[in-house]
Amino acid sequence: MGFAIAKSVSLSGLVGNLIEVEVDIAEGLPGLILLGLPDAALAESRDRVRAAIVNSGESWPNRKVTISLSPAWLPKSGSNFDLPIALALIAAQNLLPENCLEGIVCLGELSLDGQLKPIRGVLPSVLAARKNGIKQVLVPINNYVEASCITGIEVIGVDSLGSATLFFRTGEIPTINLLEATDDLAISNLDLIDVAGQVRPRRALEIAAIGGHHLLFIGPPGTGKTMLAERIPSIMPPLLNDASLEVTAIHSIAGNLKERGLLSTLPPFISPHHTTTAPAMVGGGSHFVRPGATSLAHHGVLFIDEAPECARGVLDSLRQPLESGSVTISRSSGSTTYPAKFILVLAANPCPCGRYSGRGRGCSCSQLSIRRYLQKLSGPLLDRIDIRVFVEPPSRIEMASEELGESSETVRQRVIRARQIASVRFKDFDWKLNSQIPPAQLRKRFAASRDGMQFLNGELDKERISARGFHKVLRLSWSLADSVGNTIPSKEDVVNAYEFREGTEIFN
Amino acid sequence: MNEELLATYELFAAIEGGSDFWSNEILNKGAIAVRDDLISDRYSPNKNSSGKIAERLKTLSGEKVADEVLRAEGFLLTRLDGDWPTGLDDLAAPPIALIVKGHRENLAKIENSVAIVGTRNPTPYGARISGDFGAGLADRDWAVISGGAIGIDSYAHKGCLVAEGFTVAILGGGISKNYPSANQGLFEEISETGLLISEVMPQVPALPHRFLVRNRVIAALSKATIVVEAAFRSGSLRTARDAAEIFRPVMAVPGPINSPTSEGCHRLISERCAELVSSISDVMELVLPVGVK
Repeated sequence: MGFAIAKSVSLSGLVGNLIEVEVDIAEGLPGLILLGLPDAALAESRDRVRAAIVNSGESWPNRKVTISLSPAWLPKSGSNFDLPIALALIAAQNLLPENCLEGIVCLGELSLDGQLKPIRGVLPSVLAARKNGIKQVLVPINNYVEASCITGIEVIGVDSLGSATLFFRTGEIPTINLLEATDDLAISNLDLIDVAGQVRPRRALEIAAIGGHHLLFIGPPGTGKTMLAERIPSIMPPLLNDASLEVTAIHSIAGNLKERGLLSTLPPFISPHHTTTAPAMVGGGSHFVRPGATSLAHHGVLFIDEAPECARGVLDSLRQPLESGSVTISRSSGSTTYPAKFILVLAANPCPCGRYSGRGRGCSCSQLSIRRYLQKLSGPLLDRIDIRVFVEPPSRIEMASEELGESSETVRQRVIRARQIASVRFKDFDWKLNSQIPPAQLRKRFAASRDGMQFLNGELDKERISARGFHKVLRLSWSLADSVGNTIPSKEDVVNAYEFREGTEIFN
Repeated sequence: MNEELLATYELFAAIEGGSDFWSNEILNKGAIAVRDDLISDRYSPNKNSSGKIAERLKTLSGEKVADEVLRAEGFLLTRLDGDWPTGLDDLAAPPIALIVKGHRENLAKIENSVAIVGTRNPTPYGARISGDFGAGLADRDWAVISGGAIGIDSYAHKGCLVAEGFTVAILGGGISKNYPSANQGLFEEISETGLLISEVMPQVPALPHRFLVRNRVIAALSKATIVVEAAFRSGSLRTARDAAEIFRPVMAVPGPINSPTSEGCHRLISERCAELVSSISDVMELVLPVGVK
């Protein structure tokens, strides 16, 4: 009776696969079969599509309808196949011009009255379409701006099934008032200038941003740990095109582009609550694997406040992304990989009640519970933290001072300059940041100055630092050297780095 | 103008402060007698710099001295004045006079004051404690007294000022010298709400020996002295000694035992010269009469 094919995209992680939606209308008892490993949301598509077609004034074939999503072996999920299924169904009844669905990818969820609803993951889907040589893509109007971020492919935004069929029949591109692009969030509205005092923690932020070092803040509640951490994106260099696209794609899949501007060049700042679960941290979900906090923080900052309150498994789940820069999650339906390179910032109170600082008189914790509290952080995770700083409450003078501290922009310019120095140094290597220098290179090519190395070797001999600590201090000393323009870490840089890494005596 | 007062001014301008001999001579014989004896060379010229002082006296007049001080926007304060801080008389060599810049009625506020002294090169810890103590004293309506140096002195003044307290800087040089110049802004602020005091004429430069002499004024004007951070050899230890000599309580703030800038404080504590204080309430306990909180 009739047959038609429409094209769409299915996402697995950030990777999109081109899907052909085949519709066959044959003689037989009226009914509809959906093939091709659909998940629950996709299986419900048949009812949505039927109502949408009828309510858009199109005809529904009262025959035996078979819909196949190929390749058949690939599990598919989500509601973005509604539009291609509906269009293929109409085309199979020969109600659309011949072959009009051939070179176009259709994405969108239908409501029962035929309106198109926005979907998640438009950006990576459109990217996949372009990669597969597709020239046109049809998206819900609310996703138009997001899809338009991709150049080299024509994006058509439609608001309903009706306007989609109109487009195929007459070629008329509906002129609809586009929703304004979200406000430009490229500039953070948080500024370091708001932070009173805190000279050392400020310096730690700058060094972390320069070298991509992970950071731990310890201090009583209300001293500004969160305030400081939130401002790291404002001192990091703006994201380059590729990175910005990658970040937007991940946030598109997670469906939270509303909080983040499209193609924003501001590094993301993600702060999951300490009660968060491991799947929320690294990603998860039964069929469709959603990116977790570690991936949302890709190219940006992952901040965990009250880190010792986290469940042990949650903190441990950070180890893989910290090690490899990506997260792979395996499910029965296959495994999904999301990128996850971020600066980890942990904040902790000095004790469970938070008052064990200064004279510590208000603290009601036992010495044992204080030890246990901070021990939750120790071990392999803490070993990966390069900078540990104690954040003290600002002094009376600092609180009252009318002289403002440095603004984020001033610091950001220094960070950019320091990163440029580093990128020139690393131009022949496959890493960009000081925190990524491999150990073998650290001992040979990227050693510190002679007296700096003598100092470190001395500490190693006295067994004050481990071999890993040795390397960490060296990497940190490069960031300190870059920040002041030294061509090689001086002894002073090495000593300062040593204090940043080992200085928090609370862990001894 | 009162002849005795004019003679005191002349002697003040001619005699370098801190001399037991001259302070006592003036106390016992009166300023007019001492001046006349000096001018008529009745003192042996080689003893107690009498010769030099007599030379200077011959070119001086009390009115001119008073004029010069007035031009520097200060005023002279002597024992003959009713608002002379009586604590100064505890010294072996009380100042012949002081030059004060600020509102005269504020002199009464010196009555309840604590001195905060320490190194010019403090660690962030010392800077913080100094500021917090300065603010804490101001919160309790106590005045802060310190030198005019950078470092601990400055932080103590700043802490007091942010808490809207009353602070007094005792300078080593003249009040017109603004030494050190980095603190010029601070001095201006202090002269508005607090007092700048010096024991030398407005244009006299700040020389090292004058700071040591000045320290006894800090000790005598205050009820007690706190040493916040001091190296093993530090001028602030001299202030502590001056305070101890006139039986004023001395306090020291401890620090890490491997910090050179806390070495002097630890020495004071270990030699039982100073009480260890670790909070502003410790300080108040030592300066307030028993039973008052």
